[in-house]
Amino acid sequence: MIDLLYAELKRTWIQFIRYPTEVISGIVIIMAVFYGLFASAQYMAGPGFAFGDRLDAVVLGYALWTLIISVNNDIAINLQIEAETGTLEQVFLSPFGAPRVFLARAFASLALRLVILMVVLLLLMGISGSRLAFPPTLLLPLASLLLAGYGLAFLMGAAALVFKRVQQILGIFQFLLLFLLAAPLEEATGPMQYLRFLLPMLPSTGLLRDLMARGLSLDWFTYTLALLNGLVYFALGMLVFRWAEATAKQRGSLSGY
Amino acid sequence: MQLARCPTDDWTNHSSPGSIVLDTRDLSKVYGRGKQRFEAVKQVCLTLHPGEVLAFLGPNGAGKTTTIKMIAGLVRPTQGRVAVMGEDPHRQPRALRHIGAVLEGNRNLYWRLTPAENLDYFGVLRQVPRQLAHRRGLELLARFGLEEKRNTPVQKLSRGMQQKVAIAVALIHNPRLLLLDEPTLGLDVEAGEMVKALVRQIAQEGRAILLTTHQLDVAEELADRVAIIRRGRIIAEQSTESLLKEFSGSTYHLEVDGELSPQQIHTVTQLGATVQGTQLTYAGTPEKLYALLGALSPVPLVSVQRDRADLTQVFLKLVKD
Repeated sequence: MIDLLYAELKRTWIQFIRYPTEVISGIVIIMAVFYGLFASAQYMAGPGFAFGDRLDAVVLGYALWTLIISVNNDIAINLQIEAETGTLEQVFLSPFGAPRVFLARAFASLALRLVILMVVLLLLMGISGSRLAFPPTLLLPLASLLLAGYGLAFLMGAAALVFKRVQQILGIFQFLLLFLLAAPLEEATGPMQYLRFLLPMLPSTGLLRDLMARGLSLDWFTYTLALLNGLVYFALGMLVFRWAEATAKQRGSLSGY
Repeated sequence: MQLARCPTDDWTNHSSPGSIVLDTRDLSKVYGRGKQRFEAVKQVCLTLHPGEVLAFLGPNGAGKTTTIKMIAGLVRPTQGRVAVMGEDPHRQPRALRHIGAVLEGNRNLYWRLTPAENLDYFGVLRQVPRQLAHRRGLELLARFGLEEKRNTPVQKLSRGMQQKVAIAVALIHNPRLLLLDEPTLGLDVEAGEMVKALVRQIAQEGRAILLTTHQLDVAEELADRVAIIRRGRIIAEQSTESLLKEFSGSTYHLEVDGELSPQQIHTVTQLGATVQGTQLTYAGTPEKLYALLGALSPVPLVSVQRDRADLTQVFLKLVKD
């Protein structure tokens, strides 16, 4: 399994780096969208408005959104690309079994995306003047966030295996994600303060905002619930992915797109 | 020549289980339900031994690719079973260690990676330890004459070279069974010959090869046995030689170098031959052929040829019947 992880890291890195213009243009687009949103918000609020702490929360929310979008789309889009280019069936011929291969791929692409996220965050902080904190405890809610994120990614991958063309669902999903990641529901009152623990990723993003933007320390009870949330969504994603693989093999549609 | 059922399950009848690489029994695939129901493959039985090449032939949509994919564990059969080295790829994922495949219409490779990187990656994906995969990859590149191109991205290679890399990748884990779906499709003559030579070499190493092709001359050259599938059902399966013999006629065509005398013409006509100038046609028994040859002496012979069907004629006759 270590060999597989290493091989996936190497493959992901080579494919990423062989065409550097794609990498640079990707980062430029992320930055341009942020700058556009940032400048419009300032324009609407007027020149006297100061973001204060909220700026840090906005920057973090946006950075997480870009990370989770790429994580969520990762499996589905790659499944579709590989079905089109013809390597997908070769992947399914692995004795490791598809779920393990795609899990290794998820880890490999995550490592790459975290590097990109760091670059994006540093650039965003430079543009906006935000000063985010990076306490080591933030790795814990980040892990639970990614567990739930990959759970959703496997659900999307399952949809791609069974329904094939999923670009439209992925497009709509991006806006749902913006709500899940950027809305500060940890400040909500009423039923939503409890319901947010049932929605994917929400408890983790709240904790990340506490740690990185509000300067609070980690609340272990909330973190336990966030971890549980991540584990449940991850397990659900893997289960549905296995079902989708069996269904695609039954229909003989593994390589279709 | 209708083969509807598999031969007996008793292995001892023909060979021991250890000498069988691939065994499929009553393999069937049904798609859809009700009015949409379509039986793509019906009770297909195939066996392959080490070093044997089986050409799997049939018109478009006859069920070749579905069968190959069922063997590779990519399409789940509705009925029947597959055993590769005694293991079922649908129930035991480790059975996939015995299978290498180059699938049709597919590029089978990562185009942004070089041949060496593809071999390293797919080696590990097939559970070969990383170092060993790298060593084997280099050996395969040397053997396939791809050393010079080892660091060129696959997308910059010619179609023939890409196909060679795809075959090398399919062999990286040293499989016992190689599935080749249309291995020479879209290749120029030289690349096609190269791939045929590779297939022969791979079979000589003791691997069993199941190949599908529409190029019947390729099948005739490479295959020890031929299975013909039509509308999902195998309609003929036997050795290439015996199949060709069965469909070949018993007419001989002779050519002589010079005029025959009237006496010779009379004798050969009596023996059942017809004469047209220097060409003779004879459709009698093989024994009388020697009497005929004796009667032609001392006129020099240019050629004696028996009518021989080629696989294209056999195929067309069988699928149209």
